Amino acid sequence: MDDDSKGSHLSVVVDLSPLYWARSALPAPENEFPLTLAAFLAQLLAFLNAHVACAHENTLAVFGAFPGKSILLYASSAPIPDGLAPDTNSANAYPPFNAVDAAVVQRITAELDALPEQDEEAPSALVGALAKALCYVNRFTLPPSANSKAQANGFHPGVLPDPRILVLSVSPDLATSYIPVMNAIFSAQKLKATIDVCQIYGPNTVFLQQAAHLTGGSYIFLERRDALLQYLIMSFLPPPAIRRTLSVPTQEQVDFRAACFCHKRIIDIGFVCSVCLSIFCAPLPVCTTCR
Amino acid sequence: MPSLHPNPSAEHVNSPHSLLPFLQSQSQTTLTRLYQRPSSCLSIFRLLVPLQQQIVMNLLWLESAIASSTMAAWVVREGKKDYDTALSTLFRLHILSTSPIKLALNPTFKTSFRQALTGGGTTGSFGVPAPKDDKHPPMGIDGLDGYALERWETILHYMVSSGTGQNSMRPSKDVLYLLQRSGLMASPHGSLQITSAGFQFLLHSPHAQLWDLLLQYLRMAEERGMDLVEVLSFLFMLSTMELGREYSTEGMNGTQTAALTQKAMLNDLRDYGLLWQRKPSSRRFYPTRLATTLTSSSPPLPTSTGPSSGPKEGFIVLETNYRIYAYTDNPLQTAVLNLFVALKYRFPNLVVGSITRDSVKKALGNGISAEQIISYLIAHAHPQMRKNNPLLPVTVQDQIRLWELEKNRLKSQEGYLYTAFTSPADYELVLNYAKQLDVVVWENAAKRCFFGSLDGHANIKGFIERRTGGNA
Amino acid sequence: MPPRRDAEYMDVDSDSDVSIGGRKGKGKEKAGEKRRKDKGKGKATEAAYTWEASYTRSWDTVQEDEAGSLQGAVEDWMARGRRRRLLAPAAPVRRTIIRHLVLLLDLSTSMLDRDMRPTRFDLMLQYAREFIVEWFDQNPLGQIGVVGMRAGIGERVGEMSGNPQDVLKAIADRHKLEPTGEPSLQNSIELARSSMNHLPTHSSREILIIFGSLTTCDPHNIHDTLDACVANKIRISVVALAAEMKICRELCDKTGGQFGVAMNEGHFKDLLFELIPPPAQRALSRAAGAGAANPAADLMMMGFPTRLPDASPPSLCVCHSELRSEGFLCPRCLAKVCDVPTDCDICDLMVVSSPHLARSYHHLFPVKPYTAVASMADPSSSNGCHGCARVFPIAGLSGVSEGMSPVGRYRCPECFGEFCSDCDVFVHDVLHCCPGCGK
Repeated sequence: MDDDSKGSHLSVVVDLSPLYWARSALPAPENEFPLTLAAFLAQLLAFLNAHVACAHENTLAVFGAFPGKSILLYASSAPIPDGLAPDTNSANAYPPFNAVDAAVVQRITAELDALPEQDEEAPSALVGALAKALCYVNRFTLPPSANSKAQANGFHPGVLPDPRILVLSVSPDLATSYIPVMNAIFSAQKLKATIDVCQIYGPNTVFLQQAAHLTGGSYIFLERRDALLQYLIMSFLPPPAIRRTLSVPTQEQVDFRAACFCHKRIIDIGFVCSVCLSIFCAPLPVCTTCR
Repeated sequence: MPSLHPNPSAEHVNSPHSLLPFLQSQSQTTLTRLYQRPSSCLSIFRLLVPLQQQIVMNLLWLESAIASSTMAAWVVREGKKDYDTALSTLFRLHILSTSPIKLALNPTFKTSFRQALTGGGTTGSFGVPAPKDDKHPPMGIDGLDGYALERWETILHYMVSSGTGQNSMRPSKDVLYLLQRSGLMASPHGSLQITSAGFQFLLHSPHAQLWDLLLQYLRMAEERGMDLVEVLSFLFMLSTMELGREYSTEGMNGTQTAALTQKAMLNDLRDYGLLWQRKPSSRRFYPTRLATTLTSSSPPLPTSTGPSSGPKEGFIVLETNYRIYAYTDNPLQTAVLNLFVALKYRFPNLVVGSITRDSVKKALGNGISAEQIISYLIAHAHPQMRKNNPLLPVTVQDQIRLWELEKNRLKSQEGYLYTAFTSPADYELVLNYAKQLDVVVWENAAKRCFFGSLDGHANIKGFIERRTGGNA
Repeated sequence: MPPRRDAEYMDVDSDSDVSIGGRKGKGKEKAGEKRRKDKGKGKATEAAYTWEASYTRSWDTVQEDEAGSLQGAVEDWMARGRRRRLLAPAAPVRRTIIRHLVLLLDLSTSMLDRDMRPTRFDLMLQYAREFIVEWFDQNPLGQIGVVGMRAGIGERVGEMSGNPQDVLKAIADRHKLEPTGEPSLQNSIELARSSMNHLPTHSSREILIIFGSLTTCDPHNIHDTLDACVANKIRISVVALAAEMKICRELCDKTGGQFGVAMNEGHFKDLLFELIPPPAQRALSRAAGAGAANPAADLMMMGFPTRLPDASPPSLCVCHSELRSEGFLCPRCLAKVCDVPTDCDICDLMVVSSPHLARSYHHLFPVKPYTAVASMADPSSSNGCHGCARVFPIAGLSGVSEGMSPVGRYRCPECFGEFCSDCDVFVHDVLHCCPGCGK
């Protein structure tokens, strides 16, 4: 029996750092192709709808990484809370699309509005969102357990073939997240989940590159940001089965650099403790981790 | 082994949906009219295989056509064949505009499908939800499932029991006409009898059954003066509706004929169980699960049978000793099993029987093939059975196939028996000649005779005449 | 020297099976074990040993509750895992990460016994393969060599290698390893010791012996070998398949290894797999061993390479001098090497990819254990799991065991996010990163 019949699962992790989105939206001198958050969301929604459109069984979860916190924006297995129920009287849209769009947009708006001014520059909790996405995948790859709620939703647990996680990042590497990202990569490998990465703004991120490489996903550094949707659809929509026929772009070089434990700098040559493998950027008399 | 009727999931992946060949046979203008509605585009898109879907998606947001070579550059070498097949299907569906060097979507399809994905527009093709009804409590999903199940099983049960002479509830006249037209039932002696095609139909998955009937319905639509595009659009609209929500028939705008078509369809589909209306004249309706899962591979019927909390999916346990235990109290399932199983006992939630030579022979006589029996058993195997590998006991599978082969023990071939040769030499000579022509089916040297096939007769006859003529 | 008789070496009174301290309760453990622990050896006749049980009684492991459900048993198992975690010290433990292990396989005729199915030999090979895969998963910088003992000598089966495929290949062909003759512990330990002599001090040296025989056929005094191992700081661990031998026990005790006798197939696997996590570094033995005033901080310089894509223009690699397109660039001299981890042939820098190192970091920075939320008294804002968004049960369970939350919520002490029990297990066992606080 081919797994495709069960639909494929896609978890999208969206980096929603106001700081970097503001920079991304700056006009011509700073950016060749300015991209505002609103324009991005419109294209993202079209992409999400395209995923839902491919098969009735496709499942979707969207996680938002806000400064300092991460939340689940939408999950196809969870009922939409009453407050967010989409406009029911629309005859011009497919109801599931409506549900996705309304939930994602409303929650993002609500979260960004509630964000205190001083927090706007805090680094976004991409790692937390990634970890949540993995928890979510784990929840549905577990064998059917005592939890029968999922079944009641018509969503059979244990049948989540080739789950994928797509990370849409705008922030640069956060060196403090080195170890968590690595741990997330290993968990994804264990869950046989693919991590795809699209770096929409800013420089290449070393850690996400490694994540995509190690889980067999594709890493794309967005050059033509006006063509975001086309990038998304061509590279990240096809499930692994299709990628065997219609190849997707993969990254050119993978940077296997690490972050040092002492100053959280990303380094290419470092000093490694022979006992605990802690990485330091300068020789130390005593390893500070295992001492 | 090629199975005639793969289970619904495999069907979705490997072979095109049964509706697609029908669509491909339609004219470009019909299809283009169909593509004007976003809901139709979305539904047809869902029926495509994943590779075709990806191709459509890749082209959807491009403003201009791209060279086919650019697109082909993304195809890995092993996938070339699949890719070409996918393209040709899309061409025949007129989703891709016909042009050998440039790839572009049909502009109508592109516009509508974009609209489907982004929302907006004013086509109202996804159904107009009815405003809240204060007089009546809304119909629950359970109620809808029950209704759909009852309707559908009535049809199937009627088919099963027509052969046995038992009385069961008759479906409406239109349904009977449809069954007759589709060749699933026939009335050679005045009363409707299930045909061999009908028996095969019973072993299909509900999804395949549904589409079988709907395809027949579509073929009949034109004779009945219905607009095919309207019929299709209505079906596709149903398939994009939300289960458990009430829709209004108003606002399904259109011409006079369109309105008539819709009214007729409402009646028909209500009979099939695809939608539910409070009363026939009601201006609002609920789609049932049968309708909303038309374009998906999830089970179109609430699979649990009846109110019992029985196993949800499979219910059949087959043992190596040909015994079959079916955990069901559903009369329909029992009746279907009865087609090829000798039933022995019946308990409140269990039917026990065994597969015997006679029972299988009876099924084969009805036109059911061994492969169909086996695939039915596989599709409905109890979860416990799924732990086995292979799923069904090999002995039983082989035996069922052998019983089928038994039927084909005799093979008839027309021809001539050549006999009464005067001497062994004569016999040898003619036989050798016949062997050179490769027309000898059987020979017996002791009795000096051989059997030649029909097409060799003229030559052999000429040969013998020439020889006897020469001797004389 | 004639083979020693085993009788004098067998410590008859010792309760060998409980000698592995603090063995973890795992759901898959075979039936009678729990009972045995408190009943002692005299009464341990309840089908615990493989040679006593002709069939496995897996159903004994789980107990149904009054309603006939297995729910309780499953939850009990999870609770045990949870308690184990709470007991574990919260402070980072020093563990040896760069490990060198020689796997000593008994290939004597005693391995053909069928008391473990299909035979001890086949089972050993099967478990050894699983062990190697898992070991490399957790110790990516480690190396394994394989030595076989048969016909009175030690036989090198596989060279020390850091590539799991090489090691697996070495033991892939069972016909080359067909058991014959008597084993010799001394000969094979000497062989293993000599192959580890040259290793740097910062790495661990370990020998793991899978021993099925009750005799050993040695040329000299094996106690000399034992002393040499102690001097060389080689840890010897033994998993015996037959019974405890005094010399095996001594080998382990003196070198700081673990000793265990496998009772049945499942226990055999458990004993092996207990040796997979990197051993905690003991401050005492380490200080004594290193001798110098500076016990730690042998910092090694390492480089993190850049991987070239498969489609890059081909060039010569420095390790094989072959033309190939893919490869890794040494960050110091920009030479191209084929595979990592390795030492750059040009500048001698150790080139590792950062994921290699990072695989062991969860040992250093474990996630803080979550606390079970005791009651609904302190209602939180969330009604769904902070990780997977599963909706929490409304009604509390009754009669849950210690360490379990009756309301199915577990709270992170740092970010106060609440998680369901599945996520709790997943976060601590697999993810090693709290979804709430990202630590």
